[in-house]
Amino acid sequence: MKQKSWHINRREFIKGGGVALALPLLNGMSWGKAAAGKALPKRMVVSYIAYGVYEPKNKDGSHHDWNWWPCKDAGPLTFNKSAAPFEPLKDSVSYIRGLEHAGGVGMGGHSSGDVFATGADMSVTEKTNNISVDQLAAKVNGHKTRYASLVLGTEGGTGSYGSAKTLSHYGPGRPIPSMHRPQEIFNRLFNPYAGKGIEQVRADLKREASVLDLMMDDSKRLKGRLGKEDQQKMEEYLDSIRALEKRVERTSQWTHQPLPNVDTKGLNLEVSHKEPEEYTRCMYDLLYLAFQTDSTRFATLMLESEQSSGSEMWNYANYVLGYKGATHDIAHKRPTESGKWDNWRAKQHAYFLERLKNTPEGDSNMLDQTVVVWGSAHPHASHSTKNYPIQVAGGNALGFKHGNLHSFEGKKKVPLSNLYVSMLNAVDAPTKQFADSTGEMKEIRA
Amino acid sequence: MNFSACLNRFIFTTAAVTIVSLAEVGLAKGFPSGKAGFESHVKPFFQTHCVECHGPDKSKGKITVHSLDGDLAAGQELERWEHILDALEHGDMPPEEEDRPSAEDRAAMVKWIESGLRDYVKKASKVAVETTTRRLTNIEYQNTMRDLLGFELELIDDLPVDPDKPYHFNNTASFMMVGPDQLVRYKEAASKAMASAIVDPEKPKIHRTSAKWEHGKPGKGGLTRAEIGIYQGPGMGSKTVGLKSWPKTGEFKIRVKASGNIPAGFKEVPLRLVIGTSLRHDSGSGTYQEVGVIHLKNTPDKPKEFELRGRIENIPVQPSVTHRNKVLPPSITITAQNIFDNGELNDHRKSGFDASWSTEAPRVVLESLDFEAPVAEVWPPEHHTRILFESPLRKTNSGKYAYEVIKRFMTRAFRRPVARDEVDHFYRVYKIYDAEFDTLEQAMRETLAMVLISPQFLYHTVIDATAATRPYELASRLSYFLWGSMPDKELFELAASGKLSDPAIIASQTRRLLADDRAESFVKNFTTQWLSVTKAKTVNINRDLFPRFLYTVHLGERRGQEQLFRPTIRDYMIEETIGFVGELIKNNASVMNIVESDFAYLNEPLAVHYGVDGVYGLKHRPVRIKPEHRLGGLLTHGSVLVGNSTGSAPHTIYRAVWLREAILGDEVKPPPAEVPALADSAGDSAEESVTIKDLLALHRTKESCADCHVRLDPWGIPFERYSAIGKFQPMVPKDGTRVRGFSLKADKTLDGYNKYLKKIFNIEVDASARVPHGPMVDGMPELKRYLIKNRKKDIVKNVIRRLMTYGIGRELTYRDRFEVEKLLKQAKEDEYKLQDMIVSICQSPTFTGEKPKK
Repeated sequence: MKQKSWHINRREFIKGGGVALALPLLNGMSWGKAAAGKALPKRMVVSYIAYGVYEPKNKDGSHHDWNWWPCKDAGPLTFNKSAAPFEPLKDSVSYIRGLEHAGGVGMGGHSSGDVFATGADMSVTEKTNNISVDQLAAKVNGHKTRYASLVLGTEGGTGSYGSAKTLSHYGPGRPIPSMHRPQEIFNRLFNPYAGKGIEQVRADLKREASVLDLMMDDSKRLKGRLGKEDQQKMEEYLDSIRALEKRVERTSQWTHQPLPNVDTKGLNLEVSHKEPEEYTRCMYDLLYLAFQTDSTRFATLMLESEQSSGSEMWNYANYVLGYKGATHDIAHKRPTESGKWDNWRAKQHAYFLERLKNTPEGDSNMLDQTVVVWGSAHPHASHSTKNYPIQVAGGNALGFKHGNLHSFEGKKKVPLSNLYVSMLNAVDAPTKQFADSTGEMKEIRA
Repeated sequence: MNFSACLNRFIFTTAAVTIVSLAEVGLAKGFPSGKAGFESHVKPFFQTHCVECHGPDKSKGKITVHSLDGDLAAGQELERWEHILDALEHGDMPPEEEDRPSAEDRAAMVKWIESGLRDYVKKASKVAVETTTRRLTNIEYQNTMRDLLGFELELIDDLPVDPDKPYHFNNTASFMMVGPDQLVRYKEAASKAMASAIVDPEKPKIHRTSAKWEHGKPGKGGLTRAEIGIYQGPGMGSKTVGLKSWPKTGEFKIRVKASGNIPAGFKEVPLRLVIGTSLRHDSGSGTYQEVGVIHLKNTPDKPKEFELRGRIENIPVQPSVTHRNKVLPPSITITAQNIFDNGELNDHRKSGFDASWSTEAPRVVLESLDFEAPVAEVWPPEHHTRILFESPLRKTNSGKYAYEVIKRFMTRAFRRPVARDEVDHFYRVYKIYDAEFDTLEQAMRETLAMVLISPQFLYHTVIDATAATRPYELASRLSYFLWGSMPDKELFELAASGKLSDPAIIASQTRRLLADDRAESFVKNFTTQWLSVTKAKTVNINRDLFPRFLYTVHLGERRGQEQLFRPTIRDYMIEETIGFVGELIKNNASVMNIVESDFAYLNEPLAVHYGVDGVYGLKHRPVRIKPEHRLGGLLTHGSVLVGNSTGSAPHTIYRAVWLREAILGDEVKPPPAEVPALADSAGDSAEESVTIKDLLALHRTKESCADCHVRLDPWGIPFERYSAIGKFQPMVPKDGTRVRGFSLKADKTLDGYNKYLKKIFNIEVDASARVPHGPMVDGMPELKRYLIKNRKKDIVKNVIRRLMTYGIGRELTYRDRFEVEKLLKQAKEDEYKLQDMIVSICQSPTFTGEKPKK
């Protein structure tokens, strides 16, 4: 597959100042041409926003302009001010009211983000969390791409129990550290050989495989010499070595496929965390590029964590809106800026969805092949862990039907995991049950 | 049914509760221990005082007592029993508004639970203990690499961020996990380190860059070419030198010829050298590494030469960029900054460049700067020969030489003597590399990198507790506790001689380690995590209310935002807290100094901020304080007060949580799900509402909120006279008042500005509250008095527990309770001296892992 580097710069004008942010578009690399005759990729994204959303009510019963939900009643979508950025995407988005993970209810709002993508019952039976929906999909279909999955965040690492900085987990006690530095993400995705020639890379990998084999033996011996409690810790290490071995094998196989030729021109990988819009869009751009080059098909993106007091996220509402408090306070104090903050977040997410939609793939576009969840496990100001704000977008070609607000409140209540079961089935990871699910969500995907 | 849902159901038990005084049933006279006492006395006590809120119908705080069977000897539910014991001991429970048991009854209960626990712990010493195997924290990893290799590499940024939980230590075994992603990073970091540690034999090409500036006649701005003023453009004054070329690895040195042009009334001027990308104050982009700070006191007629060193690998390089269709190559820039700061810079700024202040303030005179890398005075460098040592063996028997190299390196990397099979293993790894690489250097880099990802290097392990390795484990425990790094030669030798476990040796080693520079890492990590103070850096300061606090950029895209690329008052505040604790340790002062002290640890900008006179320069030092400064102890530290504020106002709840967690050692539960937020319970928006104190009063009227807040808020209210920026401020402006910054025109002098503030600050702050189970307390002095008089034991115990937790790398449990009691007794005998306390901890069986002598 021959590719040209990007030479079309799309200029995006961002707020005020007239600062132009040039964004790259891959030219001549769309799947439509590249993969003629092949099955199109089926993708999944779970993304997370923290500290709740604004859900005010008008006294006269009409829908509030700045409520996170685009409209009041179940049925066809109309868009208020807060959700306006999604209006052009009307046929590609759905909102679902009344969902939550029962397993996260007892955790408190600042901790329930841990289980957003896993649905684990962390307050009682699954204290160390459990496998996340993206990883389950990656287990089944991850071998089809160079990387099984992509785990992104804005703060990086795993966080600790009750204050996760990642959405993805391999399984109980196995959080996957999220990556948050654009340059690093770019290098790992598109420059994995660090400039080495392919023959050398293969030789290195072969050698590495034999060395890892030896390391495994040695570590097993060490494990045998440890106390019982500590053996479990060593099992963690052994698992990691095993995973590395698999990775080496996988990387070797992929050396037979050319790396996508991606140019950084116009992509500001050195963007500072102090520039919320540029930074957030850069993360979305990297995710887009990973999909567009079919480097991976399953991704999570923790846009904000529920415990961000030690990071720049704490100040984003200030940088973006000039709001005088911390980003966290915008949920608890509900100033008038709350709606504008939601609106800003909506703009960034809509930008990502639109980029997918504007990229042709097969007979339609990338968004139709990608189901994207966007929401939070900390719905509003009261540390509530019920009735999450949930938006589902894309995946029209995977069977998703959009354009409506669905309500599962009261007697119609079903677990959020039902949506995940539908998503897993949509990306060819046949699933009967996930976490506490009771079935599929037929309303959104028949 | 989950617990928090119960919390929200206000179901009142209809079952009639018979109020029986336990004195009536004979409890006060003491009662049988074990199960018999449970049936006859404990159960009735629970029925009377506890079950209503902690029983089948309600489970406030997620604690219930009705299902306890009273069989402590069976080792069941001991955590819960300890929890109950703590609540009874502190007098927290039952709550004040309920019928309270007599002090005698309570004491008898405490005695019964304690004796049950003690019996169990004694008997159960053979039972499984908690996990202590854990990986190195990122900072330990970096420090260990430094001491192992002999030079400083920045590796932390290449590793996934360590878990972080407020008021907890990130070395806690259960937090520290390793996954494949972590291991990939370790591998990369190890390869990077070995590429630097082992050099190629031929002497490298030396890269040099030089620059000169003439200290001649002043130019238009009043400065000579060599001078750096405090303002230049949007940021602070600086000069830059772009490097022409540089090597990939190695040590670099920068030599400067510099002096200070210091007007009368000033004593010194600090020159800071940083190296990295170009720093853009307008857009805020740029990353750098600090090379060093020189506090210049010599005058321009006596310029001096100074030399600073660092490692090339640590320098952030500006990657190649395309600019106006031209591809610019990667670059490195040295920036020399004048970071003079007397706490008044904001008062001398008009918009734009204020020439008068720049020439009135101290200037750096930088006449020349020479960069050289790699430093190759000795080649190969010491860190190379430390690994590939000089030996004729290398030529005569290369296999044996390689084996010996690996063995020596492993012994240090594993922090203990290595077994033959372990060395054999890595020799096999070496053989794989040896077959494919041309040189010993290359093969050894790869082999030793594998040593650095082995579990023996990455983990703190306790290997089957054989007598042979035990002393080395103790050596590591001591060094990782007090240095955050591997043991040094002296500790290794003591371990080898078998003398290390002698309590007198432990004591002298503990004091030696604490006196070493490497202890700074312990003081910093322990203090910042214990007190959770780093969040002070990210609190968003309301610049309308506090226009003088931060130094802001005055033009360009970042106009009004805080200046970057310089140490700021918030950095100084965090240094104050770390340094203060460091002073207490160094001087073996009483731990109660954390509540009240006769000194503060300040530099000039901080002293100006707090209103203390006579402190000059940027270096922190202990400063004697007077009552009118309203400082002393940790409670009034800027880092604490700012970190626990909203940036506009004091945050009563955060400060209360801080006091209870960090100082009193309570665990404060996070707000449960479905409890209405502060604003909901008091009106639509907190911004529009009354003061936080009033807001909280409203919040407390809801039962669901009151349960916790009644015991929480009063601890935060006495802090109210300290503002969001950590200043004593008994008077505040009316809500919504906009406070203007210093204006040269209107105020003329700083006194003039203070008069203006006084005029608009006309509402008195109320800082009085009745502490739970205690008296009315009005403001900080009364709060401190109360803490010293009534809570000394809790405070000392808390510090012991924190130190112990950090030292052994796991959370304490009920098993450790009696060990802590012993240490508390010892601390009392030692008059609560902090260094002595650390020594006792290091000698304790829990720390050494020795079985206690009967």
